[in-house]
Amino acid sequence: MSRNNSTVQNATVDSKFRPRSQSATFLQVLLAGAVAVALAVTGCTKKRFDENDNSLNLVLRANVKGLDPASANDLYSSTVINQMYEGLLAYNYLKRPFTLQPALAEAMPEISKDGLTYTFKIKKGVKFHDNAAFPDGKGREVTAQDFVYSWKRLADPRNTSEGFWIFDGKIKGLNEWATAVKNEKANYDTPVEGLQTPDSHTLVVKLTGVYHQLAYVLAMPFASVVAREAVDKYGKEFLNNPVGTGPFVLEKPSDWVRNSKITLKKNPTYRPDTYPSEGMPGDAEKGLLADAGKQLPLVDKLVFSEIVEDQPRWQNGLKGNFDWVEIPKDNFDNAVSKEDRSKIVPDLAAKGLSLDITPALDVTYIGFNMVDPVLGKNKLLRQAMSKAFDSKTYIEKFLNGRGIAAQGPVPPGIDSYDEAFKNPNVAFSLEEAKALLAKAGFPEGKGLPEFQYEGLADSTARQGAEFFVQAMASIGVKVKINSNTWPQFQEKIKAQKAQIFGIAWGADYPDAQNFLQLFYSKNKTPGPNDTSFNSPEFDKAYEASLKLPPGAERTKLYQKMRDIVADETPWIFNAHRLGYKLVHGWVGNFKWTEVANDYPKYIRIDAKKRAELGNKL
Amino acid sequence: MVPILIGVTFLTFMLFNLFGGDPAVRFAGKHATAEQVQVIRAELGLDRSLPEQYLFFVKQIATFDYGRSWASKQLISTMITDGLGATLSLTAPAFFASIAFCIGLALFAVYGRGTMLDRGTVVVCLGLLSISSLVYILGLQYILAFKGGFFPISGWDPSWVDRWGYLVLPWIILFVLSLGPNILIYRTVIMDEAFQDYVRTARAKGLAERHVYAKHILKNAMIPIITVIVIEMPFLITGSVLIENFFGIPGLGGTLIKALNDSDFPTIKAFTVISAMTYMVFNLLADVLYSLVDPRVKLS
Repeated sequence: MSRNNSTVQNATVDSKFRPRSQSATFLQVLLAGAVAVALAVTGCTKKRFDENDNSLNLVLRANVKGLDPASANDLYSSTVINQMYEGLLAYNYLKRPFTLQPALAEAMPEISKDGLTYTFKIKKGVKFHDNAAFPDGKGREVTAQDFVYSWKRLADPRNTSEGFWIFDGKIKGLNEWATAVKNEKANYDTPVEGLQTPDSHTLVVKLTGVYHQLAYVLAMPFASVVAREAVDKYGKEFLNNPVGTGPFVLEKPSDWVRNSKITLKKNPTYRPDTYPSEGMPGDAEKGLLADAGKQLPLVDKLVFSEIVEDQPRWQNGLKGNFDWVEIPKDNFDNAVSKEDRSKIVPDLAAKGLSLDITPALDVTYIGFNMVDPVLGKNKLLRQAMSKAFDSKTYIEKFLNGRGIAAQGPVPPGIDSYDEAFKNPNVAFSLEEAKALLAKAGFPEGKGLPEFQYEGLADSTARQGAEFFVQAMASIGVKVKINSNTWPQFQEKIKAQKAQIFGIAWGADYPDAQNFLQLFYSKNKTPGPNDTSFNSPEFDKAYEASLKLPPGAERTKLYQKMRDIVADETPWIFNAHRLGYKLVHGWVGNFKWTEVANDYPKYIRIDAKKRAELGNKL
Repeated sequence: MVPILIGVTFLTFMLFNLFGGDPAVRFAGKHATAEQVQVIRAELGLDRSLPEQYLFFVKQIATFDYGRSWASKQLISTMITDGLGATLSLTAPAFFASIAFCIGLALFAVYGRGTMLDRGTVVVCLGLLSISSLVYILGLQYILAFKGGFFPISGWDPSWVDRWGYLVLPWIILFVLSLGPNILIYRTVIMDEAFQDYVRTARAKGLAERHVYAKHILKNAMIPIITVIVIEMPFLITGSVLIENFFGIPGLGGTLIKALNDSDFPTIKAFTVISAMTYMVFNLLADVLYSLVDPRVKLS
C-alpha cells in the first residue's frame, strides 16, 4: 500500500523534472551519429564493379569443409576442390549426353579384351602448383606413381575417406593393402598388384572384375592426383594447403576465410588446355563456341562466397555480386513469369538477366522399409499408397512447379531415361488406390497399424511430410510423422528402423547404374539400398548389366530393372528436380552441368559490360 | 567448479550417446557398406566402451586438446579461435552499447514514470518484443542494404581494419533486438529500488534528484542488473546464429549449429566445456562485481 502511494506522490513531484527536451536531443544525436558512421564506414557511393576486373564471382549454399580430394564428399567442397585438382578424365563441357574426355590422361584408356586391364598414358609436362612443399618451391612434373599414391590415400583407413567406395573391391590387391596398412604391415611404398607403373607416365589398372563405371568414377574429385610431398609436409593440415594441377590455385592459406570466402587465382603453370571447338547443335548460335581453341581458364580470379541463407544469397545475386544465382523457392514468383514458367519477369530481363533451366539429375522419393512385416510383404498396399500420392500437386506446392513427376528412379539427362514411360503406380487416382487397398486386405485402411514416417526437422521437410500424411489419410491409411536431425534420420534408415522415409538421391555420374544400384540386394542398408529391396530377378538383371558396355543391350536391361521396381514399388517416386538460375548479361559460355564441377575455367566475363550493367543494379 | 564441469560433461556425453545418432553412418558417406561403417567407427573411437570414451573426453578437457572435427577434419582449436574473433566483433559492441543505452533509458523512464515518456517506452518495448527477430533481420537487410544500398547485404573481411563496414547493420539489428527485453527488465529493477525507504530518506535529506538516482537507486539496482547481464554474457561467445547466417559472419554460433546438425561430437564437446567454463567464470565475475557495488556482499 505504501509503495502505491509513493508512486503517485513521486510521479507528481518528479514530473517537473522530466527531461523531455534533453532525451529528445540525446536520441537525435545518437541516431545522426549512427547514420553518419554507417555511411562513412560503408562508403556507399563507391563504384562496385571495375571494368578491368576479370574475376568470376560465385556463391555456394553451404560452407566448404576442407580442400582434400580424399574428403570431397559434399557438393560444395568438391566444387572448390575441382578447380585446383584434376584427375585422368573429365567431362566435355559442351556435349550432351555427358561425354568423358582425357584430362591428365594423354588419351582415353586402352582396355583389354576381357575388360579387366586399363592402361592410361599420362600427359607429359603437367606440373603441380608451385608450393613450398617442393625442394625449390616449383611444382614438379606429375607421374603415374602420383596416381597410385593418391588412390592409396582413399583406401588408407586412417584417412577415413568417404571416397573409397569408387575403388572398394574393384582394384586387385587394394583392399588387401588397406587391411595391411591398418595392421601396420604395409605402407605407401608397398606395391599393389592392381596399380602398376611400367614407366613414369604409364599407369596400368588391373581390376577384380569388369567395372564399366571406372571411367566415370575417375572423373570424380576423389580420384584426383595429389602431391605426396605436400601431404608429407602439411600432414593433417593438407586439407588447408591444396597442391594440385588444376587451372586455379590457392596462393596462400589466408585466401580461404573459413565459412566466408575462398579466393583462387589463375594457375600460372597450368597445362595446355583449350576451350572445346565442338558442341551440340545450337551451341554456336548461342555463342558457346566463340572461344574455341583458347587457352583456359578464361578468368584471372575465382571467388567462392559461402552464404547459407537464401535471401542474402538472392539479394547479392540480383545486385550482381555473384555472376549467377539460383532462384529461391520464396522468390520464384517475383523472378519467373506466371504466364510462362520458362521466362523471367520483364523487369529482370531489362537488367540483362537471363534464365537457365537444367535438370538436377536427381530423384526424390518416399521409401518403404522392405523388411517391415506389413509394408515389405504387401505389394498391393505399397501400390495403393503410391497411387494416393499426387506428385504433380506436390511439385506445384513445394517446388513451385520446378520438377518433373518421376516415373522411375532414373532422371532425364541420363542414358536409358525414357520420356514415354508411364509408371501405372505413379498415376494419381484415389479410386484406384482405394480399390488396391481393399485388394491388399485393408479396405478403407481397416486392419492397418499406424505407420511411422521419418523425415527431417526443417519446416520444408515437415510440410512435405504433412502432405504425405494427408494423402494417405484420404484412403484411410494413418501415418505419424517423426522429425529427426540428419544423423538421427540416417541412423534410423541404416539400422532398418525407419518404416517410411522421404529422401533424395543425386547422380554421382551420368550412368543409370548409379540409380539402379539403390535396389541391388547386396547393397542393402547400411549400403545405398536404403529400403533393403530384394528381388532375385532384379539382381540377375543388375549383375548382367554390370558386365555390359554402354549400348542397346545394357539399356534394355536398365529398362527391365526400372519396370521391376515400378511394379514392386519399394519407393513412391516423387520428382526429378529442375534447377532455375538467373545469369547476368556479362557472363559468357554459360552451359550448366550437374555432374562436372570444373565449369569455371570455361566461363568468360565481359568486365566492361559488368561495370556498365552492374553499377546500375 | 570441478563438480559442475564433471556434471556438465557427463550429461553431454550421455545425451550425445543416447540421441546423437550414429556418427559413423553419417561420416562413412552414402555409398558405405557395413564393413566401411565399421572401419570409420573404429577410426573415430566409437568401438570402445562408453567408460573408455568418457575417460578420453575427460583427458581432452584436462589437456585442452579436442583434436579435429569429425565433420570437417579441421582442428577444433582453430575453428574456435577463427570464429571467436568474428563473433566478438559482432556481439560485444552491440551488447555493451545496448546495456549502457538501456540502463540510461530505463532510468529516464523511471524518472518520468507515469508520463508519456515512460508509457511510450513500455509500449514500444512490448511492440519490439512481440515482433519476430527474423522480421527485423529480413526487413532491415532488404530496406537498408538491398534497396537503400547504405550497407553491404552480407559479407566479411578478416582484416581488423576492414571488417567493420560489414558489421554496422548487424550491430543495429542486434541493438534493436535487445532494446525490448533489456529496457523492460532494467526499468522494473530500477522501479523496485526507486520506492524503497532509503530513497525517501535521501530525498528528505534534500539530495538533488540526480544524486538520488545515480548514487542510491542505480547503485542498489546494480545487483539484479549485474545478474541479468551475467546471464546474457554467454551470448557474447555463442553469438547470434541467425544474424551470423544472414550476414555471412563466420562466427561461433554457425559453427556450433553445424556441429549439432552433423553429430560432430568432438566439436560439441569443446563447445560444451567452453560454455560451462564461461558461465562459471562470468558467475565468479558477478560475485566480484557484487562486492564492488555493494560492500555488504563479501567474498569468502
